[in-house]
Amino acid sequence: MTATRTAALIASAWRTPLGATVDAAMARLYAGERAAIADDRAAYAFETIAPLRDEPARSRNARFLRRMGLFALEVATEALAASGVGGGERVGLFSGVGGLRAHWDDMLAAFAPQRDDGERMWERGLRDVHPYWMLRHLSNNVHAIASAELDVRGEGATFGGGNAGAQALAAAIRALHDGAIDAALVVAHDSLLEPETLVELGARGWPAAGLVPGEAAAAVVLVREREGAPRLTAHDAAGPGAVDRLASMVGGHAVAAEDPHARDEAAVVDRVAHRELATAMGQVGAATAVVQAIALAEQLRARRLDTRAAIGLHESAPGLASLVHVEVLA
Amino acid sequence: MTAVITGVGAVSAFGVGARALFDGLAEGRSGISRIRSFDASTFPTHVAGEVPVPHVETGWLGDALGNPAIADELGAAGALRDRKIAWGLIAAREAWTHARCDEGERNAALVLALGLEQALLEDFSGIYEPGRIAWEREHGEGVRFRTPVDLTARAVHTLLGLHGPTTVNASACAAGALAVAHAASLIERGAEDIVVCGAADSMINPLGLGGMCRLGAPSPRDELDACRPFDRRRDGLVIGEGAAVFVVEHETRARARGARVLARVVGWGSTQDGYRATAPRPDGAAARVAMERAIARAARAGVAATSIGYINAHGTGTPLNDPAECRAIHGAFGAHAVHVAVSSIKGAVGHLMAAAGALELAASLLAFERDVLPGTANHQERDPECDVDVIGETPRAARVDALLSSSFGFGGQNASVVLGRPA
Repeated sequence: MTATRTAALIASAWRTPLGATVDAAMARLYAGERAAIADDRAAYAFETIAPLRDEPARSRNARFLRRMGLFALEVATEALAASGVGGGERVGLFSGVGGLRAHWDDMLAAFAPQRDDGERMWERGLRDVHPYWMLRHLSNNVHAIASAELDVRGEGATFGGGNAGAQALAAAIRALHDGAIDAALVVAHDSLLEPETLVELGARGWPAAGLVPGEAAAAVVLVREREGAPRLTAHDAAGPGAVDRLASMVGGHAVAAEDPHARDEAAVVDRVAHRELATAMGQVGAATAVVQAIALAEQLRARRLDTRAAIGLHESAPGLASLVHVEVLA
Repeated sequence: MTAVITGVGAVSAFGVGARALFDGLAEGRSGISRIRSFDASTFPTHVAGEVPVPHVETGWLGDALGNPAIADELGAAGALRDRKIAWGLIAAREAWTHARCDEGERNAALVLALGLEQALLEDFSGIYEPGRIAWEREHGEGVRFRTPVDLTARAVHTLLGLHGPTTVNASACAAGALAVAHAASLIERGAEDIVVCGAADSMINPLGLGGMCRLGAPSPRDELDACRPFDRRRDGLVIGEGAAVFVVEHETRARARGARVLARVVGWGSTQDGYRATAPRPDGAAARVAMERAIARAARAGVAATSIGYINAHGTGTPLNDPAECRAIHGAFGAHAVHVAVSSIKGAVGHLMAAAGALELAASLLAFERDVLPGTANHQERDPECDVDVIGETPRAARVDALLSSSFGFGGQNASVVLGRPA
């Protein structure tokens, strides 16, 4: 393994269940508040969920993006504006998405006449689906729209799955150090609150484990060097012992936990304090690593931690783990 | 540190196996056929680059993988109706075996590009209520409304017994090429010394085909020659499915274990158009920069632009893509552009979406393996707007030292990869 490369985090924005701005959410985090609410109508197998409380601003891009995609575009726009970085060929774009989260309500008109044997599906309603249905559910539609809206034309990729945020961060840092770009916009979003996701997670035993599904969109802007800015690195691992291997990469150890999904709360590396992000915000899927990076940077910058470095660990599924490491040098 | 390809596996409209792909392309055949995996008779198009396996049976897949347990598990979960899972597993097994990987290679990382999560329309008929979907009626093991985006990657990880990290690239039609580029960059930086990488996708199902038809992407002509890249009469794409997976490793490592090198991955580059969600940048400017970056990286690895003798183009056969891509080629290669042969295999195998770039890189290996450049099925009358040396329907015998493959995704995600002939 080569020496770890880091990047400077110079701007951020998010929409989390704790708040729509970084300052507001961090204030609630410091106050020990939790975002989980009871919602009999929307929670299905869960007693509590952690939804975003606001709706995205009206946007002409609603043609192509559903609710979480619009939030992702909002935070990407805000983070890039706050960074002072313009667009162009030397600015990269790296995106993380949790999955399709299909918004099947778009398809109700097509479902009604269908039969179990699938006969004549086109005539039985599929032909009436909105022409942009597929575009609205493409894995890289946030990436595409953000690129066009923000004129970000450098290297980039979209990553998928529970560790997608960490993978996007890692790819951005790699591209910065390869010299392919001068700045990177990283945006990740996910919602675990779609009905079919809640049903699935319920079947997997999440409610009994006390896990609260949530949703978030988060974006950061990274550059190679910026004096005084928090420095960030990200990794992911798969297979048995993934969490422990990641923790060992930063010279620490992960505290064993019976429930693997609780490890991101229980994992502690020496030198590092821990703020129970997942407990406060709920599980935010593919957005986790970027949310962790922002929250840890804020805590270190505000000297809320008595250390200069902090890590966020996350096990998105058994054997799939990610780690972000944030350090403030000054 | 040079990354080299030491194993390849492929599943395509020509059948299961890289050899089927090579043979089909070398013989100038087309794999486009009438859709057989479901009743598409009432859809606007009935043709596709469908893998000639109408239904993926658990027993068949178990035999193909030499691992009935994984096939049984996926079958029991209803996951095998998402065809890309089977194609990805089969291609990964073939690449692993082809590269003669063993216990010493199980620390490999995995970088897999995948398309949309798959849902099956008929699954919803049982829980539809007027105006709503009664999700609460479905619970427990029966939940199968979609296959998680990373399910194929997790299954490949398990099948091969890998210990390394897993990355899922979801960059639409550029994803397959980006997965290979990602693997090569990990090796170049010394972060990994061996990576299993590639892509799998299938949209040949009611929702996939129906969604694409509503979007107007497929050719309106319901004919076997529906996709005609760079042709004056081109009017749209034809959907394909399949997978291509590679073993990419550090050249020193490969030679030390006696692995045969199929190609060197010497250059890669990516950009975004920053233009529109629904159309490529007409001047091809961002695609050109992706090519230039790949060419520049190859040059740093000792492979000059003038040694690139073949381009496997994205070449969708859509009115907008092909001329923009040709402008990008001229911009990136300058005076050398007229000396580079160009072809697209999409007329023969269809557009594999997320897997397109990976399968096209696999197809490009034909140039090194057999000194044959694939042809462009259904290309008969070159569009003057596509002013490049398009290889027609007949494959071209030629020896090239390096080649470039490009893939362009929805909304303008562009990727180019340069392969060099093994020393």
